[in-house]
Amino acid sequence: MMFGEITLGHYLALSGLLFLVGLVGVLLRRSLLIVMMSLELLLNAANLALVAAARFQKIPDPQVAVFFVITVAAAEVAVGLAILVAIFRLKKTTSAEDFATLKF
Amino acid sequence: MIAYAPYLILLLPLFAAVAIRLFLHPFPRIAVPVSVAACLGSFLGSMMLLSSGTPPGGMAAPAIPWIELAGLKAGFGLVADPLARLMAALVTGVALLVQIYSLGYLAKDPCRSRFFAELSLFVFSMLGIVFADNLVTMFIFWELVGLSSYLLIGFWHERPAAGAAANKAFLVNRIGDFGFILGILGAWSLFGTISFADLPSRAASGAPFWAVTAVGLGLLCGCLGKSAQLPLHVWLPDSMEGPTPVSSLLHAATMVVAGVYMLIRVLPILELSAVTMNTIAWIGALMTLLPALIACQQNDIKRILAYSTLSEIAYMVMAVGLNIPGPAMYHLVTHAFFKCLLFLAAGSAIHGCHDEQDIWKMGGLRKRMPFTFLVTWIGTLALAAIPPVSGFWSKDAIFAATWDRPGLAACSMLAGFFTSFFMLRMILVAFDGKPRTEEAKHAHEGPPVMVVPMLILAVLSVLSGIFPVAEFLGMKPDHPHHSWTLWLSLILAVAGFVPAHFLYADAVKDPIQIRILQAKFYVDEFYQRALVATQDGLGRLADAFEGWVVRGFVVRGSGVLARSAGQGLRLVQCGQVQLYAAVFILGALGIITWLLWKGAA
Repeated sequence: MMFGEITLGHYLALSGLLFLVGLVGVLLRRSLLIVMMSLELLLNAANLALVAAARFQKIPDPQVAVFFVITVAAAEVAVGLAILVAIFRLKKTTSAEDFATLKF
Repeated sequence: MIAYAPYLILLLPLFAAVAIRLFLHPFPRIAVPVSVAACLGSFLGSMMLLSSGTPPGGMAAPAIPWIELAGLKAGFGLVADPLARLMAALVTGVALLVQIYSLGYLAKDPCRSRFFAELSLFVFSMLGIVFADNLVTMFIFWELVGLSSYLLIGFWHERPAAGAAANKAFLVNRIGDFGFILGILGAWSLFGTISFADLPSRAASGAPFWAVTAVGLGLLCGCLGKSAQLPLHVWLPDSMEGPTPVSSLLHAATMVVAGVYMLIRVLPILELSAVTMNTIAWIGALMTLLPALIACQQNDIKRILAYSTLSEIAYMVMAVGLNIPGPAMYHLVTHAFFKCLLFLAAGSAIHGCHDEQDIWKMGGLRKRMPFTFLVTWIGTLALAAIPPVSGFWSKDAIFAATWDRPGLAACSMLAGFFTSFFMLRMILVAFDGKPRTEEAKHAHEGPPVMVVPMLILAVLSVLSGIFPVAEFLGMKPDHPHHSWTLWLSLILAVAGFVPAHFLYADAVKDPIQIRILQAKFYVDEFYQRALVATQDGLGRLADAFEGWVVRGFVVRGSGVLARSAGQGLRLVQCGQVQLYAAVFILGALGIITWLLWKGAA
């Protein structure tokens, strides 16, 4: 078989790919909404790596960490979106470039 | 039982001072008698101690252990040898008379509780010096005397001059005390003891000459401050700003003779160095003459007496320098009585003329205050050393020791001439002639509480010459007596009256004006200038330091550093969230790379 069995390496490669996509999204996309979605992607990439590791190493600990990450992500999205809505109401835009007031 | 008497004598005035300060301050009617009663108690105790027989080796009160270090042992012990007993009786006796006199002198002063509390504190401090059995204890009480004299001189603190005089007395004394403490430290390191009882035996053990000279001069420094000798004499005339009873107490039996008393106590150290002894003798001889000259041109009755005190104390200092402590103490005792008498008489005249101190504004007091006039004459005869009054006998004992030291003899006998001169001048101007002001016309004698102490002192001034001080103290017998010192000093003393009589009988204003004497040899001005120059120099140096180093470098430098750092670092802040995130990620990557690399290595 060309692809053979799916190993931990595959999972970690996928996780790394997802993290890279998320990173590029965070760094390069202008819309803050997309940036936030990319942040979620980063978190889920980490979650995937943790779950795969737990599965292959037969240890439960990483799964606990995943629960924490999910919880924190939920909270972060709730707060982040609320801020985003408030900012949009104030400035009528969600472009990151327009929020450069934190200088000098 | 009698061994504890010194503690009782010492602590009674302290008790009175504390009680008045803490509880009785608002009630002068109670506070004043408490103070006088405490002084009376001390006096009776001292008299009991004085009249009790001397067991061999003197009576030392049991010492309370205090500082005990390796090599230094200082107990709080009291010594009651004949010297201390005589001095204690003198101090408490004169203090008692002065307190009684003050009852009349300060009868109307609203602050008299404070005055009597401070007097009691002063008596306590002075008795501490008298009974101290080691140098450290003595130094503590020495400082207490400085403090209480400061309080008393500045008693009328609402007068700026009194405050300035009090400060001056305190500060000038500090200079002397600094030398004194160096002397104490030196004595301890040289002889390994600070106890007066051990000094004679330890001092003989042979220390280097320069070291004993230095220690002796250090101890002398303390005496110069307290006894107001050259060059630290400037505070004493100014201290006349205090109430007259204070001047009387300070000048007669207490503060200024403390220096002489201390010199006699440390005589075993001073004796080791001929240089020290000569210095002491010459300072004494010069100081007999200079103040006597200055007093000839002073117009303030109390200042005249103050300068005469400087001169008389100098006789005692000179006697110590000639190694004749017996006559020094003898003169100290007689001087205590007649100087106290003179000050109280002057106070009476001042009081009678409603606080007028200028002798040219008095005049004609002889008819209005005959008693004061009489006792002033008695005091003057004693001061001028005219027989048979006490001052003659004690001064003669000192003159007798100068027979082989012509320089000292010349200075001190000339001083006798000028003493007679200025005292007769004072009497003629203040008491003779016609009243020159309204106040002098209405002068009157003080109340009995002022008259009686003067009467007692007048009797003592005449008779105290009988008291065999040197024999009582068991000090070495007098020098072989050469009669020329007696006759020469007597002739000079009497001769001093002659020009004074011709110049000042019926004088309305001073017929002679000698600028340099009126200005007290410009010593104050010299100190003022020297101090101003030094202070200005130091001030400029401090200003430059402050301007360049503190303000320029430290304060402004740190400000500039913070500002320029801020200016530089703010350029880093661009406000772009994503750039921050990128930098953050790069940093995280860097750390991870480093950790991996380190793990691999």
